[in-house]
Amino acid sequence: MDLTDPLHRRPNNNDQEVSSCKQEPLHATRYLQCILKHSSDMIFATDLDGILISFSSAGEKELGYRWKDMAGRPVSDLTVDPTEFEKLVTIAQKEGSAVRSEFPFQHRDGHTIYCALSLSSLTNTEGQIVGTVGICRDVTQWKNLQEDLIRVDRLAEIGRTASSIAHEINNPLAIIGEISGWIGTVAGDAKSLSQEDREEIERGVRFIEEQTRRCRTLTYQLLSFVRDSAPSRASVDISRLLEETVSFLIPDLKYKGILVSTNLAEGPFLIDSDKQMLEQVLVNLMSNAIYAVNEKGEKGGRIDIETVRNESMIEIRISDNGPGISEENQERMFDLFFTTKPPGKGTGLGLPICRNIITKLGGSLSFETEAGKGTTFFIRLPVS
Amino acid sequence: MSEKADIRVLLIDDEETLIEYLSKRLLREGFTVKASFSGEEAVEVATNNDFDVAVVDLKMPGMDGVETQTRLKKLQPFLQSIVLTGHGTLDSALESGKQNAFKYLLKPIEYENLVQTIQEAYETKVQLQNAKFREEVEDIYRSGMGARGIKNAMNKLRKIYGLD
Repeated sequence: MDLTDPLHRRPNNNDQEVSSCKQEPLHATRYLQCILKHSSDMIFATDLDGILISFSSAGEKELGYRWKDMAGRPVSDLTVDPTEFEKLVTIAQKEGSAVRSEFPFQHRDGHTIYCALSLSSLTNTEGQIVGTVGICRDVTQWKNLQEDLIRVDRLAEIGRTASSIAHEINNPLAIIGEISGWIGTVAGDAKSLSQEDREEIERGVRFIEEQTRRCRTLTYQLLSFVRDSAPSRASVDISRLLEETVSFLIPDLKYKGILVSTNLAEGPFLIDSDKQMLEQVLVNLMSNAIYAVNEKGEKGGRIDIETVRNESMIEIRISDNGPGISEENQERMFDLFFTTKPPGKGTGLGLPICRNIITKLGGSLSFETEAGKGTTFFIRLPVS
Repeated sequence: MSEKADIRVLLIDDEETLIEYLSKRLLREGFTVKASFSGEEAVEVATNNDFDVAVVDLKMPGMDGVETQTRLKKLQPFLQSIVLTGHGTLDSALESGKQNAFKYLLKPIEYENLVQTIQEAYETKVQLQNAKFREEVEDIYRSGMGARGIKNAMNKLRKIYGLD
């Protein structure tokens, strides 16, 4: 390890301090070396010009540089904001120390690493300042976690607001539906109306009904997304559930000339889960598959449903040979309200709800896709 | 399917406009309909009038839907209740009144679905009622109270079940 070099090169700094312990100076040096080698924090030392004279192994690992690449370079080169860093060094030398809970360093490949940074002035035995020592702990993950938490919190808040709005909308929606139905009935029975007018009114009423139904679907989905009820647990036969779901969709499939093949693990396959929630996910994913195949519009559309299992989990694969998902859309697949379907056909809630449900059931939902070839969704569920 | 005019429906919801139009439609459909705007009012109405099916909103100020249907059931044991609920409250609804309600329907309801459910609820009510009637008739025959006694008891029973 090269990091011993700078210590030897500048015996006037560390070694003298260490020898002030007066007990076995060699022992103390080893002790320091051990810290520099094994600490998970990056530890560095610079001279008065800010040139690196020592850098710990963790630092090499954290920032992706080798000591030999960095020896003799100013430490501020490793930071995202060298001016700010210089300021901190000045403070440390004036006041003995400077601390920042979050300071950005730059990895060799360019990405930013946030560190809790603590700088202190390095003095020799005469009390003269000869440089700076820095200890940095990588807090990038912690920072990301914090940001995630804030995002989750905000989403939950949006969810709560959305659900109370959905509830409030449901009542007027019900009233609009009833009144339009009533208008239809009255118009249907009115003797003095001309045939033409009657048809106009009936057409209008039908449209109101369609649109209220559309609103209702949206409010149901919103409510089911934020509904916080814990999933119920009961024995569910996955093979049977898949067969049931397929048969439920068969009228739709026959009409559209789509071939469905199933390749399921033999016999009943029981897991403890929430049947209703699973059903919702399966119907949703299969409907998406049907939509994808139709969108491609060619003959020979197919959907393959397969289960693969091992001791701890079962994987349900739902594949279509539709157009696949474009690269720019792949990232947004699970975003709330993101949809590629035309207005009125998709709400952008289906997949986020599916993922939400599968997560609640202790599993995971993912997909693989290839442009022009199709898409496969993978539902993984724990077996016990 | 029975004649709709035979089916006596009690509607209970605090949304007055909704109830107004819903009862108009059901009336025009041929049902016999009585509307009330709270659980308390419904219980009062049901004390003096017999109904076959009650359509109850779950969330109402004062007496809620679960309480209302339980009270109605006490007054008229064969009465079937259809409970209307917002999506988010379905679980709690099921827990608190599972065995009592004929069915839970999500609000906003689909009108055709409601009409069909009311008819199913009525069929169930009639079946339950007839089964219970037959059971009690058999009890009377087994009781050995003699022809005259049986005739009197039967008449009483007919009255109770509204089979005159």
